[in-house]
Order: sequence, then structure tokens, then C-alpha cells
Amino acid sequence: MATTTVAPPSGAGTSRTGAARLAFLLLLGLAALALALCASVMFGSRSTSLGDVIDVLTGTADPNVTTIVESRYPRTALGVLAGLCLAVAGTLMQGVSRNPLAEPGLLGINAGASASIVAATAWFGASGSTDTMWWALPGALIAGVLVHVIGSAGTGTSVVRLVLAGAVLSAVLMAFIQAVTLSKPQVFDSYRYWVVGALGGRDFDVFWSVFPFAAVGFLLALALGPGLNALALGDAMAVSLGSHPARIRGGGLLAATLLSAAATAAVGPIAFVGLAVPHVVRALAGIDFRVQIVFSALAGPTLLLLADVVGRVVMRPTELMVGVVTAFIGAPALLIAVRRMRGTT
Amino acid sequence: MTTTRESTTSPAPGPEGPAPRSAPRSAPPKGFLTIGRHVAIPVRRVSVVAAAVLLVLVVVAAVATLSMGRLGVDLADLPAALTGDAEGKNRFVLNRLRGPRLTVALGTGAALGLSGALFQSVTRNPLGSPDVIGLAAGAGAGAAISALVFPDTVPVAVGALVGAILAMALVYVSTGTGFRNPARLVVAGIGVAAIGAAITQYVVYAMERDKASVLTAYVNGSLAARSWSDATTIWLVLLVVAPLTALIGRRLDIGEMGDDLAEGLGSEPKRTKTVAVVLAIVLSAASVSVAGPVAFIALTAPQIAKRVTRVSGPHLLLSALTGSLLLVAADLCAQQLPLFEDLPVGIYTMAIGGAYLGYLLVREWRRGVL
Repeated sequence: MATTTVAPPSGAGTSRTGAARLAFLLLLGLAALALALCASVMFGSRSTSLGDVIDVLTGTADPNVTTIVESRYPRTALGVLAGLCLAVAGTLMQGVSRNPLAEPGLLGINAGASASIVAATAWFGASGSTDTMWWALPGALIAGVLVHVIGSAGTGTSVVRLVLAGAVLSAVLMAFIQAVTLSKPQVFDSYRYWVVGALGGRDFDVFWSVFPFAAVGFLLALALGPGLNALALGDAMAVSLGSHPARIRGGGLLAATLLSAAATAAVGPIAFVGLAVPHVVRALAGIDFRVQIVFSALAGPTLLLLADVVGRVVMRPTELMVGVVTAFIGAPALLIAVRRMRGTT
Repeated sequence: MTTTRESTTSPAPGPEGPAPRSAPRSAPPKGFLTIGRHVAIPVRRVSVVAAAVLLVLVVVAAVATLSMGRLGVDLADLPAALTGDAEGKNRFVLNRLRGPRLTVALGTGAALGLSGALFQSVTRNPLGSPDVIGLAAGAGAGAAISALVFPDTVPVAVGALVGAILAMALVYVSTGTGFRNPARLVVAGIGVAAIGAAITQYVVYAMERDKASVLTAYVNGSLAARSWSDATTIWLVLLVVAPLTALIGRRLDIGEMGDDLAEGLGSEPKRTKTVAVVLAIVLSAASVSVAGPVAFIALTAPQIAKRVTRVSGPHLLLSALTGSLLLVAADLCAQQLPLFEDLPVGIYTMAIGGAYLGYLLVREWRRGVL
């Protein structure tokens, strides 16, 4: 066993060719992100060309074009932030629970944030994205902890349990949300615009109000990389390597909750980014969590920005919210994954 | 076939198998009411007692539904009013307001309970219910699309029906193993539910607030403003399907012991399962078309029935009665609770059912089932 193990907790686990491959993938990821960024400021109800964008960036563009392109900056920034948060949160959750289905949305965190926001809007006069951010966070945190408590009742944790526990909690919180929103038209109005998950129609204030949470969560995630690698070898091995499984799990859950709460508060619940990106990253870049987290941070924003662009283009002049687009991309991917599942879990 | 049990069994004459033979557990075979060769209804004493108690409770809940509150018919007047002498306000309440609503609730609850019992028996999985595998979300999406795209041509109920059927088909296809593997079923259901929810949310976002509010109430499952034609729909379906479920009930009971054993006993488990799933889908689709996707009744009713009687088997009749009781009681809450006014009944069932599902999950994995 020990003689064939290539990935000690702090070891690279990659040969020289592996490193070259990773560098190539990194360049590819950066290029894809750059492309997605350009697309996000180019396309919309009125499209501009790449030349226009370059002109805007160099300050030589037509004022009208400048206005159009600059109006897309906030949603692009939010797309990057939310995509990064969701993808990294997904990677953390899948690492912590060793559950390939773990994802913020499936684990009740969205429902917790939603319920908290609805309660705050209904009874505590919360309005505007900065307020709701402060409410989404405790809601998400409590829901996340609850799901883990329910999911780890009995012995051990299984692939399906946490997801089911998330479904249960979501159902109960959903009943609460529907009860409140249906009895209060004002709350219903703001909730139905929030719940579709949209990047548009928000300004930089939203970005800056969630930025600190995202930053803390991301730094914590980066710091947890080696610990997650150790955890992947099993609890006993992790302990013998000098790690503390419980601390790593707690830290991972905290970071994932901070990240997904930040994303959910900023742009509404967006499904499947946190589920799909880690799978793709793992398939391409391998199992080292330090690498996975960095690549998720590249791939998440790319996916979310592209989904947003698709949503803007397919239904012109109106647009499809990014949350709807990701559900339509992600759910079929999940269904295909189910078909390939082996055994009973 | 072993011959050791000759005193209680007779040789199997054909693939259907004689109904009253080979009781699966320790229950004596004589505890069955048999009609011809195919129908054998278990009449264990505990089942009879439970059925009687449930029936009494259903009647109590129904009477409470008709008589409570500002518009309620006085208890003293109720017998006369029900036998046709209702006048003025009472007549209006019974014929237009609470009468049809109660009748729909009774029928829909029974249909959902029956549907859930069939699903759970076939999947041998306490979670194998139409709720968990995305039927409600599919129905909601269908209703939403018909309300947005064909507001005047396609009734919302028809849209819900189509959506529910499509969702079930999608889950069936994507599990790759039909409805048999509980874990796949649930995960596929989550995927299908996500698509359904995304569609519904988008439509609710895109509509005017008032219409969106009405649609939201409907997709949560509502019994408000039901008519006698809704009541006719659900009871007609029940009258046709319930006898058919009784026909296969005995073989489902055998099927719960496992496919191999069932086959050895001369019943055809695969065909039985297919028939049961089709009947279950017909029942839940019918309830969706009259009341919208009411959450969790189909999941909880068979489980409660099972725990009350503590014997094995699908308990079709008891599940149906429990379903009626749950839905009528939830609707009573929806009508009378002062906390929120005019909430759709589905919100109450979602809250209660969600909590119960949580209890069930913990219980199941304590026993190492999941």
C-alpha cells in the first residue's frame, strides 16, 4: 500500500510531464476565461465587436459604445465572483464529504439562504443586496450545519444521505418560503426576481459587499488543499500523516458555506455549477486538491459567464437568467452521470 | 415447490397463481377475503381495526371541514342539510364551497395514498414515491408553460398532467434500470426536479405578479375553488383504478419478498411491477390534474399505514384511507388556521411531510437500509 502511494499530503504527486501538462491546462484555462470575459462584455441585447471592446479599454471608443460595454462590467464581475465561489465550494464539499454529488444547492444551503432572506424581507425590513447578503449568510450556515448533522446520524456518511438530508431540509424551508411569499405580495415580488438567479440588473455595490466573504472563503480553501489531499487517503491515514480530519472537515464546510452564501446572496441560487465544475476539473487536472481548487477558480467563472452570455443571446430582446441556463445544462449532465453510476450508490 | 406445506397450500395451476395460497409471513392463509381466483384482500384483524379507526377519523375530519368556521354548517343542521334539505347559506356552502372541495380532497388523498403504496411496493423503497422522483416539479413546469405559452387554449391542469408524465418518462430513461434502484431513482429525480423548478421559476418571474401568484398557489397543490367536475374526475379514476390495484395487490405482496422468490411462486414480478407503476402514475397524474402537485401525501400515507398495523405488504386500502385523512386534515388546517390566510394546502403537506421524511431517513439509515 504505502509503497505505491504517490501522493503524500504535501507532495506534488505529479511527474515532470504532469507538470508540463498542468502548465498547458493552466494556459488553456486562462485563455478560456479571457474569452468568456470578452464575450460577456461583447454580447447582449446590443452586440459589439471585439475591436470595440479593445477601443473601450484603450479609451478611444465612441461614447455610446463605451456606455454599452461599461454597463456590462458589473454583471461580468459578478459572474466571475459567483462562478468562482460556486465551483470552489463544490470542490471543497466533494472533498470533505468524499461525495461526488455534494453541491451547495443540493445540500440545503440555497434553501437556508432563501428562507433567511425571505424572513428578513418580510419582518425585518431588509431590502437591497447589501442587507440581504447579511441575512443570507447565517441562513446558509445554519442550513449547512443542519444537513451535515442529519446526514451523519447513524454510522458513517453515504453518497446519497447528505443529498437526501438536503432535500428534506429544502422541502421544509420551501414550505416556509412559499407560505410567507404567498401571504405577502411585496415579499413575493422581490423573491421571484431573486430566485431565478440572475447576474444582470445589479451594480458594483453587490460585488463589493460580498467580496470579503468570498475572499476569506477562497483563501481558507487554498490553505485547506494539502489537508484535503490527506483526507482523501482516509481518516486513519490522514491522522498518521499528522492531519486533523475533524478540523479539515470543519474548515472545509466553513469555507464552502462562506463561498456559497456569498454567491447565493449576490446573484440568487444557481444550481449545478458547483456540481459540474469539480467533476470536469478532476477529470482533466487530476486529484490533487491544490490543483483542483485553482482550476475550479478558473473554470467556474468561465462556465457561468458563458451560460450568462447564452442566456442573453437565445431569447433576444429579453433574456434567460443564468440560473435557468445552468439548470438546463447541468441537469442533463447529472442524469447522464446517474446512468453511469455503479452499484447501489 | 416444496411439499412440506401441503396442508396449507395447493399446487399452482398457472402463472397467475391461486390467490389465497402461500401467505408470505406467518399470517395464516385463512385471513384473506377471496373473490374468485385473483382477488384476495388480507383481512387480518389488525387491518380491519385500523381501517375502521381510519374511517372514523376521516368522517370526523370531513364533518369538521363542513361545520367549522364562519361559513360552517351547524352540526345540528348537518344531517338534514346533507340529505337534501339544505337552504340558503347552508346550501351554498355545501354545493358550491366546501362540498366539492371536501369531495376532491377525499378522492385526491385516497389516490395519492394508493399511488404511493404501489410505488413503494414496486421499488421496495420507502422513498420511492412520485414526490421524490420529480413528478411534482414536472407537473409544476407543465402547468407553468401552459399558463405562459397557451394561456387561453390549454387548461393548466392538462399542462400539469403532460409535465408530470414527461418527468416520469425522463426519470425512467435516465436511471437506466427503470424504477428499481432507489439511489439512482432519487438522484435522477433531483435532476429532473431541478429542470422543472428552473422552468417554473422562470415563468413565475416573467409573468405579471397577480397571475404569477395564482400560478404559484397552483403549483404548490391547492384545493381552493374546486368544482363538482373536479370531484367527478378524481372519483371516476379511483373507481376504475382501485379495483385493478386490488387485483394485483396480492401479487405485489409476494413481490416484496424478492423477484426470485416471487417467480418461484408462479407470479410474474416484472409484469406485476409494470402494471403497478402504470396504475400509480395514472393515480398521481389524476390527482395532479384536479389539485395540482400536493407534496408528500403519497410518500407518507403508506409509511404511516405500515407503522400503524406493523405488518408487511402494500396495504393498499389502509394507505388510501390514510391519504384521505392526511389531505382532509391538511386542508382543514389550510381553511381554518388563522396564522396565514388562504394558503394552498400543498404548503401544509410540504412542511409536515418534509419533517416526516427527515425522521424516516434517519430511521432508515440507522437500520442500514440506505
